[in-house]
Amino acid sequence: MEEDKKLTEQESLELITEMIHKVKNTYHESGTGAILWGTAVGIAGLTSFAQRHWNFSIGFDIWLIVLVAFIPQIYISIREGKNRKVVSYQEAYMDAVWLVFGLSIFMLTFYLNVISGVTDNFMKQDDSELLLRTLTTGETRHYAPSVPSGYSLLLLLFAMPTLTTGIGQKFKPMIIGGILCYVYFIISCFTSTKYDLLMNGIAGITNWLIPGLILRDRYLKGKRC
Amino acid sequence: MFKELDPILHSQLRLAVMSLLIAVKEAEFTYIREKTNATAGNLSVQVQKLKEAGYIEVTKQFKDNYPQTTCKLTPHGIEAFEAYVKALQQYLQAGQS
Repeated sequence: MEEDKKLTEQESLELITEMIHKVKNTYHESGTGAILWGTAVGIAGLTSFAQRHWNFSIGFDIWLIVLVAFIPQIYISIREGKNRKVVSYQEAYMDAVWLVFGLSIFMLTFYLNVISGVTDNFMKQDDSELLLRTLTTGETRHYAPSVPSGYSLLLLLFAMPTLTTGIGQKFKPMIIGGILCYVYFIISCFTSTKYDLLMNGIAGITNWLIPGLILRDRYLKGKRC
Repeated sequence: MFKELDPILHSQLRLAVMSLLIAVKEAEFTYIREKTNATAGNLSVQVQKLKEAGYIEVTKQFKDNYPQTTCKLTPHGIEAFEAYVKALQQYLQAGQS
């Protein structure tokens, strides 16, 4: 291709179309990550089912392999990122989607591990506890309930599209809003429903209202120009 | 009244680079060279001109002990490309009527 070849308008348009067409199908996913996660989650789920159905134990929590799978996944992501010669907008968005998904799974695991103890603590603060009585023997023992906190889970859901959009669009207010939402989610795991509701309100403001006002301002400025 | 076509963009190789970069987030120098069939020297000069015009951002780093140059469009570059395409359309529409 020559640097200063004089182009007619028609040739210019053809060249633009040709170059865009050349890069149109650049996205090539190796599938390694999907195979890794499919294997880890498949083994963990089927083993858990088998243990319950045939009443045996392998002696450790099989779901730990899903956490272990994070290590090769990080290595694969870094290696694939280094070998990429071109990053399409589609790939950039897919990266954001999977990053947010990974972060949310991590948060959800954290939630599932702490929620039972937190509920128990709240009951103790109210001078109450749940007891489980075996009907045949009449024996009673302490029972730590696991009451799901719907408003905490809402915060987790709020964070996902906001952070994905923020990363995909490189829009800082939404990145900050999304990260803040994860912070509110962690805090809400240890607070009562009243404060969870307060954080839902604050999340609405930092997640969408402030970024929305910034977008509106930019839109109106652009319209005036 | 026709808008004058941007002289920075109205050149075969520079327009090819800009058209390629408009379709992706970022691309390595070697990838651009492969798709444009340009020589490294020629492409390097044109990339520099686009950079000086503020149309593209060039990042140089090392990957496995080899230099790696990555190019991406700047917001100013996107605006210039859009204006160029709009001007082209005007010329072509005028030619048809």
